[in-house]
Amino acid sequence: MDILIAALQSGAASLASYLAAHVLLCLVPAFFIAGGLSALVPQRSIVRFLGPDAPKYVAYPAAAGAGSLLAVCSCTVQPLFAGIYSKGAGLGPAITFLFFAPAANILALSYTGVALGADFAIARIVLALCFGIGIGMLMALLFRRGDAERTAANAAAFTGGDGISRKTLIFLGTLVALLISGTLKVDWLTAPLFGTVLHWDGVSAAQAVLDRLVPVNQIKGEEGLSLQGLTLIGLLLAIGAAAWRGLGQVDAGFSRLTWLALGLTAVTLVFAALGVQAGTSGLTITVTGRTLAVAVLCATVLPLARRFDAWDMQQWLWETWRFISMIFPLLVVGVFLVGVARSFIQPEWIRFIAGSNTLLANLAGVVFGIFMYFPTLVEVPIARMFLSLGMHPGPLIAYLMADPELSLQSILITAAIIGKLKAWTYVGLVAVFSTLAGLTYGAWVDGTSLGTLALIIGGFMLALTAAVQLIERAQRAPAR
Amino acid sequence: MNIKILGTGCAKCQRLEQLTREVVAELGIEAEFDHVRDMKVIMAYPVMTTPALVIDDEVVVFGRMPGKDEIAGWLKQT
Repeated sequence: MDILIAALQSGAASLASYLAAHVLLCLVPAFFIAGGLSALVPQRSIVRFLGPDAPKYVAYPAAAGAGSLLAVCSCTVQPLFAGIYSKGAGLGPAITFLFFAPAANILALSYTGVALGADFAIARIVLALCFGIGIGMLMALLFRRGDAERTAANAAAFTGGDGISRKTLIFLGTLVALLISGTLKVDWLTAPLFGTVLHWDGVSAAQAVLDRLVPVNQIKGEEGLSLQGLTLIGLLLAIGAAAWRGLGQVDAGFSRLTWLALGLTAVTLVFAALGVQAGTSGLTITVTGRTLAVAVLCATVLPLARRFDAWDMQQWLWETWRFISMIFPLLVVGVFLVGVARSFIQPEWIRFIAGSNTLLANLAGVVFGIFMYFPTLVEVPIARMFLSLGMHPGPLIAYLMADPELSLQSILITAAIIGKLKAWTYVGLVAVFSTLAGLTYGAWVDGTSLGTLALIIGGFMLALTAAVQLIERAQRAPAR
Repeated sequence: MNIKILGTGCAKCQRLEQLTREVVAELGIEAEFDHVRDMKVIMAYPVMTTPALVIDDEVVVFGRMPGKDEIAGWLKQT
């Protein structure tokens, strides 16, 4: 019985600290950005670089760009993958797109940055980019015969289409600035500007109750729940209640609930950026650079949004809400279960299997990633749990690379589009490259200089590019 | 008039069908609807991404959500 209570408490604790600490300044703006990318950026603006005649040096980066800008959810990934493969730039760029999309979309990236640290987010995107392009080229190389026989594409799907308009760029840029200013840990953002004390005698008693319910445990990385966190969870619930109809039915027109939901969101973001400390005599409220930056940016979003048609803004909010209602419930359940599971896993096990940066440890990370299927983004809290249990950052990156890319479900979908042989070759390559990525990052953490590693990866990429170019040329020669 | 919506069953595709049906009803046009979900059939059209709207076997839009006015304009043209 005690074990069960401890497990449930561990789950509740991880959920509470997750909702209070990680969601707000990172995930809320990220959802709005994802909605904006999906609703305001015309897919043609990027797809036009992926036509059948696009040169390789344009197609591969464009495929990566499409992965991070267009594919926030798997329902976009599948058709776009099939499109690039069968009509456009071919197998290589399609594979690059498939590999890069889950690691580099705005939601995954910002959540990784906040939950695990900026260096993990940067490592994830850089390694995914290098190895995504690498795997794409290798696949193109291995299956070059079959690829040449693809049906001639209809050019109409690639020509035309406008670029991304300036107002969209400015609008999305402001939202990204909001996300960054809410999460970045630099001096001018964290420096306190002025503060005040709200006198309230019950404050330490209230905090003590919270500490008993959600104990702080530094060793296990459990952060506990502050009074501010509790207020934020309350505000989140209020936003959810208002947004249910306010954003969910925004396509029928803006209602009062829409404005209420948006207003509450802005208030919550600013409140989350305040420093609130419970003392003996009351609450110390500190206004920091972050508070100001978040408030100013929230206020700028409104006039920028007014420059769009009402239809575009309705689309934006509708898409945003669709992402939230699709991903958020899974995340909440996932984080709770991770918390429950955590109380059963002994740190010694993890340290024994993946405590140092060895080949075997990295392979273990990859194998775990392939056989476990977690919904979008849940891989991040799981990685966080492993990190706090003592997993080495190298195998952790190997796991983070393999898990979202490979699951039985995605392998089956891929196989249906490109065939079994290619799909399983892809799986093998991802496993190998994820292990390599883990070893690389682990070596960097252990002190190998960045220059050496960049040289190795750069040399590897150059060799691969050269090989692909040479074979292309050799293949074209007899045709003349 | 034959109207096809190409989509794999994602939320956007459902919504495009709903919007188009509304516009058709408002204009009082006779039209038969077809929601194509088979990836192979979809890829036979010159589209890269879904959702796509096809009126009388001509793709009028793909990869984004058109407004009601736009849909009405295409319907009147054909």
